[in-house]
Amino acid sequence: MRQEPIDPAGIQWTRVSPSYAKVRMVGWAIGALITLLVLSVPLVLVLTGVWDGFPLWLAIAAPAVVVAVEVIRLVLIPRQVAAIGYAEREDDLLVRHGLMFQKVLVVPYGRMQFVDVAVGPIDRMLGLCKVKLHTAAADATAEIPGLPVAEGTRLREQLAARGESRLAGL
Amino acid sequence: MTPGRAVPVPGPGETEGQGTPAAPWHRVHPVSPLVRGWIAVVAIAFVYGQNTLSSFFGEEEPNPGPDFISGTPLMVSLLVGAGILLLILLGFFGTWWFTKYQITDRHVNVNTGMVFRQQRQARIDRVQSIDIAQPLVARIFGLAELRFDVADSGSAAMNLAFVKLSEAHQLRNEILARAAGLKTPAPPAPALPVQPDAAQIAGQSPDPTAPQEAAPGAPAPGYASVSASLAASERVVAVVPTGRLIGSILLRPSTILMVLLIIGLGIAMSAIEGFAPFYLLPALLGMAGALWNNLNTGYNFKAATSADGLRLSYGLLDTRHQTVPPGRVQAIKVTAPFFWRPLGWYRVAVNVAGIGGGAANDAEQRSVLLPVGSYEDVLAVLSVVLPAPGVAAPRDFFAAAINGSGTEGGFVVSPPRVRPLSPLAYKRQGYALTDTALVARNGALHRTIAIVPHARTQGLRLSQGPLARRFGVVDLSLATIAGPVVPLVHQLDVASGRELFLEQADRAAAARRQTDSNHWLGDA
Repeated sequence: MRQEPIDPAGIQWTRVSPSYAKVRMVGWAIGALITLLVLSVPLVLVLTGVWDGFPLWLAIAAPAVVVAVEVIRLVLIPRQVAAIGYAEREDDLLVRHGLMFQKVLVVPYGRMQFVDVAVGPIDRMLGLCKVKLHTAAADATAEIPGLPVAEGTRLREQLAARGESRLAGL
Repeated sequence: MTPGRAVPVPGPGETEGQGTPAAPWHRVHPVSPLVRGWIAVVAIAFVYGQNTLSSFFGEEEPNPGPDFISGTPLMVSLLVGAGILLLILLGFFGTWWFTKYQITDRHVNVNTGMVFRQQRQARIDRVQSIDIAQPLVARIFGLAELRFDVADSGSAAMNLAFVKLSEAHQLRNEILARAAGLKTPAPPAPALPVQPDAAQIAGQSPDPTAPQEAAPGAPAPGYASVSASLAASERVVAVVPTGRLIGSILLRPSTILMVLLIIGLGIAMSAIEGFAPFYLLPALLGMAGALWNNLNTGYNFKAATSADGLRLSYGLLDTRHQTVPPGRVQAIKVTAPFFWRPLGWYRVAVNVAGIGGGAANDAEQRSVLLPVGSYEDVLAVLSVVLPAPGVAAPRDFFAAAINGSGTEGGFVVSPPRVRPLSPLAYKRQGYALTDTALVARNGALHRTIAIVPHARTQGLRLSQGPLARRFGVVDLSLATIAGPVVPLVHQLDVASGRELFLEQADRAAAARRQTDSNHWLGDA
């Protein structure tokens, strides 16, 4: 995997399952469809002659822009999924996200307040899950989506055990 | 109302409450509901009285009503009024009756609720801050409200409203003494006969209605001396003179804006005929209210240090005494607003779990450690909340941090190439490391520094957007408990940012191993 300039040196990222892209795509499809439907209403009205005053070019341009943007987003999804990674160090967990807006987060095990494992309907079909590590600080919540269930369970146990042994209160 | 004395409500923790298996339950002061609900009572009385009187006296003006009513209306309305009053009083009595609290060695238990009962138990060693607040009406009655905050953002874990002021002080000292880890010198003298067990054996269901007759607020004898010694050793580190407070309020951007707005309106109203924007009145009143709030909460501000942490007291009409135990401060912010800088004034605020959360409306005022102060005051307050700054010359270091720029004081700043992005601040924004904390510096006009002790680092986040990538910089934000301090190192060179990221994570891990204890006076 490509090393981005922002990634700390010497970290080997574990990538999430590539099939997580399918989960994201389902979400994308629903969102895109709704946006497209809403923005196509003027076009339908103009074409059926109900709303003649509306400029035709605008009625066409709005859905066209939506289609263009959504196609770009669709193309980016696999790369975005590939950009998600995590690494377990001795004292902390590192998580990275993002292509355009890149983020790397480090959360100490000792600061862990609780761990969530969440499985959505599409996740379940593909055998995936999402692990969330919560700390007392709202912006230090590590979220790793698209893990195979076995790996998610292992990670949860691992985090809980390490959190216990390095417990640091608040 | 049989005066039985057995009051053991087997709260969730009662089984494990060693040492004091039957710590006495107390009630708050009987007039508390009235103090809290007086506005409602007055409003109801006013509206009701007005309606009744006007309907009674107004009878003559329109055509006199049918004769058969005129005999008794006053009587009836009086009776109805008395009924409403009785209902309200019953409600007050009920809330008072069902509110009880107990302090054991490890826990604070509070039972509330008449219809929906609630039993709450909070661990004393998790206390984040204790407040004694006196709203104006409570002050008239000599009562006070005791708030006990744990690290649950939002409402207080325990909110005793109201108890006598002396009692509130005693309770605070007692809770803090227990939280500090001072062991119980001896089991408390059995003020109560050992009936509770008998009651439990008799199979009585939890009966919170039984009255409580033990002298409220009488702590175990051992604690009396402890609390006295803790209370006595208070040393004032900073005060805010009234003149400076008023000056600082006048020099706020919002005040200046308001004055300009009023002047502008005055000119406009005299220049243009019939221009009277009364619709702006609410906005102006709101601004004035905010100013009043600043004055009310900053008045007579006093910061003191004692064995159980930093003590703040302030307030003009509503007064508040706040205690923040040591080690509870998660992050510190020192601000030098633009208009205060010629006068050398600063403001200090902190993040403390439980009080900085957004839910409580007084979160902002409660996280202020110094509303306005000189550099000496800032140093004095910092010496309490950051006892080990980890630098050789704190005075020079913090001067460089707050007012300096460039690399003096050991700061690492943004590379000069980010000048187009931050034309004023690029020389100032950066960070410095001490042995115990990371200091992030930001802002050229409105200057701030954020101090995060290594041992309190919750997490680190490195982020970079497309623009930052072109300039080869990253932002590093330090995660902390919700509050006014948002520590951020802005636009750091990528290489040094990456380095700092991992180094800081390791430093935080090392610091965590050394420190971190919920008790602060020897965990014997």
